[in-house]
Amino acid sequence: MIRYTLRRLTLLIVTLWLLTVFLFSLNYFFPGDALTNMTGIRASDTLAYQQAFAARDFDASIFSQYLNFLGHFTQGDWGQSLTNQRNVFGELLPLLGGTLELALLAMIFAMALGAPMGVYAAGQQRGSMDRLIMGISLSAYSIPVFWLAQLLILLFAVKLGWTPISGQINPLFDVEVNSGSIILDILVSDNPYKTAALLDAINHLWLPVIVLAIMPATMLMRTTRNSMLEVLQQNYIRAARARGLSESRILLRHVLPNTMQPVVRQLGLMFSVLMSNIIVTEVIFNWPGLGSWLVKSIYERDYPVMQGGLFAFATLILLVNVCVELFHAWRYPQVRKELYAER
Amino acid sequence: MSILDIRNLTIELETENGPVRVLDRFNLQLAEGEIHTLVGESGSGKSLLAKAILGFINPRWKITADRLWWRHYDLLALNNAQRRIVTGRDMAMIFQDPSTYLDPNDKVGAQLRETIPVGDLTGIYLKRRADRQTRAERLLHRVGIKDTKEVMESYPHELSEGLAQKISIAMAIAHNPKLLIADEPTTAMEPNTRSQIYRLLAKLSGGQGMSILMITQDLTAVVPESQHISLIYCGQLMESGPTEQVMQSPLHPYTEAMLSMSLFSQNKAPQTRLPTLSGAIPTLQHMPIGCRLGPRCPYARSACVVKPELARKQQQDYSCHYPLWEDPEHD
Repeated sequence: MIRYTLRRLTLLIVTLWLLTVFLFSLNYFFPGDALTNMTGIRASDTLAYQQAFAARDFDASIFSQYLNFLGHFTQGDWGQSLTNQRNVFGELLPLLGGTLELALLAMIFAMALGAPMGVYAAGQQRGSMDRLIMGISLSAYSIPVFWLAQLLILLFAVKLGWTPISGQINPLFDVEVNSGSIILDILVSDNPYKTAALLDAINHLWLPVIVLAIMPATMLMRTTRNSMLEVLQQNYIRAARARGLSESRILLRHVLPNTMQPVVRQLGLMFSVLMSNIIVTEVIFNWPGLGSWLVKSIYERDYPVMQGGLFAFATLILLVNVCVELFHAWRYPQVRKELYAER
Repeated sequence: MSILDIRNLTIELETENGPVRVLDRFNLQLAEGEIHTLVGESGSGKSLLAKAILGFINPRWKITADRLWWRHYDLLALNNAQRRIVTGRDMAMIFQDPSTYLDPNDKVGAQLRETIPVGDLTGIYLKRRADRQTRAERLLHRVGIKDTKEVMESYPHELSEGLAQKISIAMAIAHNPKLLIADEPTTAMEPNTRSQIYRLLAKLSGGQGMSILMITQDLTAVVPESQHISLIYCGQLMESGPTEQVMQSPLHPYTEAMLSMSLFSQNKAPQTRLPTLSGAIPTLQHMPIGCRLGPRCPYARSACVVKPELARKQQQDYSCHYPLWEDPEHD
């Protein structure tokens, strides 16, 4: 396991390093001045520009420029925004919190919905409930997220009026932004209307969470069902039955753990899908997160912000994938062997 | 006195082309503590017989028999639940590819512990757990595994096939069955491991009076401890009798052919073709009438289109119109 962990971490570090090379080269490919793209300081601000020129080694070779960039980058100096001159790295952290809040809640909701439905469908194999669940999951999987979001807003926010159309919380509550996650921020704040603020936040939150969760939930449903049907055919399950173990013990101890093995492996992939959906969802719901920030920076041609957003998304997906793989290998030991062909 | 008594067991499968007899009036008697080897090629119905005995029956099979008795139970008269109780208590089975019968994501020790019948345990919670553990260790000792700790902490993929088979045997004998059915237990194993498994089975049978029905593909795998042997071809019993006697003086042409096909039979000139029966095993839909060996039998005559009745000569049962001792014209 230690060897496996080290291998994964090495891969992670190498990938992140390649990502910095890519980001560095972007500064030269983007239109305009490379130094401005990198730091967000315009040439018209002569004094600051000259200082940055010296500090970033722009008179030296491109190689030293990269090393210098790497030094600044790892210290959290990601330049300033071209539009509002704010520090990119400082801007990014609370937005990351907002995105993570949405993503985690959606993942949890998807798992709580998808896995049990898949298990249930497998139990009713070829029955009417199985067909119904699989049919719903296929149609839900085929709906693009931007359309689904609009439809649900139209239904729940406009027609029924159960929930606000967009945003994170009613601005009247005036919650101080710390972590970016609205629920955490309310809980740590000394706001006198904590409970009301929390309810309002949840009221804003549930619709985007559902929109985001639907696609991963349908993926989970199908994977869980197919995996469970396969496990039920296995010799060790039949042998356990023949030995007279109780059905509940066979299910909890042998069927479900083996069913979840391919499902866990898919979680990383599902998170990547979720991340691309979250960008659209954040824009539609006007949610202060990385996604809407990134899209806005693209509209405004704010290159330093674009780089920061790209790096944050890529790192997040990589980290989650590595964590999922490590968990998978820890929980299902034969995976480690397969990796080295040590059988 | 036989504990397993099968007379004229017939299994018919419903197919699109009408019923197919996969087991045709099959007979088998098994005494207590005896090892009985059942030899048959693939598709001969031997695994089906095992399933019929254990009661793993597909509702589309039609099973009829004059007798299918286990000890004093008439297995065909019991309903499924009663039958599962009887067979679950008294019988166990081991298979080929033993590692696929172990949960790949559970430690061997845990799987072994859960097979120990709850009724055997004493004490309350903690003591019960300790009891379970010692019983599991004792089971491993019985199948000849000394390194119990390491084996119990392993996952199935870390074990060799031989070791996995030993663990299957340990699980099978956990509730002291009276009958163990071993379905080609050593396929794809090294000769060394193979003989280890056979020795272990023979020891278990001798030590605890457990009967073993050993199912195998070829005569070379018949262990010396096996008292009786039966040969089955396409669902029909060809010959059955004491092992020595059958091997020394076969009465049925099929037995003779199987013996001469064996790589270890004597009188073979180097670099000559090995003898085989002409033709191939017929498919399920195209079973010959009468004696199913007929089209491939070197001694077949017109009488062979009628299935021969089982005859007996000095404890040796055979099903042939022209057994080898009767006809001096045979060479």
